[in-house]
Amino acid sequence: MKGKFFLVFIIVTCFCTSCRNSSNKTTEFIFPEADSVPLGESEKLSTEAIEEISKNISSPVEIANLLQMMSVPFSPDYLASSIDPNKQITAFDKALTLGILGADLGYLNMYERTGSSIDILSSIRKLAEGIKVGQFFDFETIKRLSLNKSNLDSLLFLSIDSYTQIDKYLRDNARGQLSSLMIIGVWIEGQYLATQVVKNYPDPVLKDRIGEQKIILNDLILLANPYCSKDAEYARLCGYLQQVKEKYRDVRISYTLGEPVSVEKDGGLVITQTETSKVEMTEEQLADIIQITKEIRDKLITKN
Amino acid sequence: MKKYPLIILLILATGFLARAQSTDPLINNCVMNTGSNTRYLKDFRVQLGKGSTTGEMRYKAQMSLWKNTKYRFSMCNSDDSQGQLILTIKDESNKVVLSSYDQNTKKVYPFIDFICNKSGIYTLNYDFNEGNQGSGVGVVSMVR
Repeated sequence: MKGKFFLVFIIVTCFCTSCRNSSNKTTEFIFPEADSVPLGESEKLSTEAIEEISKNISSPVEIANLLQMMSVPFSPDYLASSIDPNKQITAFDKALTLGILGADLGYLNMYERTGSSIDILSSIRKLAEGIKVGQFFDFETIKRLSLNKSNLDSLLFLSIDSYTQIDKYLRDNARGQLSSLMIIGVWIEGQYLATQVVKNYPDPVLKDRIGEQKIILNDLILLANPYCSKDAEYARLCGYLQQVKEKYRDVRISYTLGEPVSVEKDGGLVITQTETSKVEMTEEQLADIIQITKEIRDKLITKN
Repeated sequence: MKKYPLIILLILATGFLARAQSTDPLINNCVMNTGSNTRYLKDFRVQLGKGSTTGEMRYKAQMSLWKNTKYRFSMCNSDDSQGQLILTIKDESNKVVLSSYDQNTKKVYPFIDFICNKSGIYTLNYDFNEGNQGSGVGVVSMVR
């Protein structure tokens, strides 16, 4: 009996000690490496889980917002203008390209280059109709809002909401693979935009944002994994994502702990998070990420 | 021949429903009232029946939030909602990072500005105060 009591005492002591350490504000811990995503596991993902994962992927609007905060001027050179919707033959190409152009649309909208977005909107329309989801895109209203620049929030809402509805419709109708492609397309183009800009504007905040993509990279791979063996197109895309993951392998994200600070202001609350994340990424690692992103993105749009 | 009016009715109804999804006035009003210095990111339509006053919050959604970004979480309620929409956000370790409901004073805040300093995947938990039945929308936007 005494032996059992001693064992419990030791376990409790160890547990309490480890808790005390983790609550220390100066303690830093390394973000767990979740580098392997077993294919079998991803195949077991429920529709709800996939839906949740898809919501985690960062919006290109957030990247564009960051660029604006850094006073980075708009450049049409970053856009996938060479894409010809008529040359997207397979549903795979249409869905992936729909994602790429969706990211470009977000970039254009944020910079209020809405007059220039008409061509992209026409391409999006063709692609959406090509995979029979055109009904979720209110093209006429979006086009009207784009042309008169009357309300950017309405435009952003309608554009993002259309993509959200397409995503949901595809998942609900057993066409989740196209939804995954669309999301991957959005991410790749957003990543391309960030990595191209950072070459000329090496702002630490932008570098961090690129490094932080490691957080959602596994989720992105989880989205693609169930379809990797579907055909050669999917297999190639899965291979590309693995190449990106490989470049992120030694990028580290560490956290420092802290309690949020809140104050009342204008009837609402303002909460400042004192917990922080820190990216550890060398210039060489960043250069590799920039290069692989460009290579993959160019391959995906070169058939045009 | 009698089948055709029914088919037409179904097509019209389907069309109407598809349109209604993107023209929910509650969402539109909420999005338009988040403030002039904001940019829309996402919305969550929450409709719940009467629930427990002490239980877990019932509507959950995940979202990635990024360091160096100021987010605004706005909550709007429909006129016939008995409860007020509240939001609690937890991080990956299930730690509460913010709540729009003050348990002590029972005060419900209509919006929260969150200055994010830790990038990660967070869980947004929505419910109505005191487990009331309700209908509302939560809008996430960036503050510029």
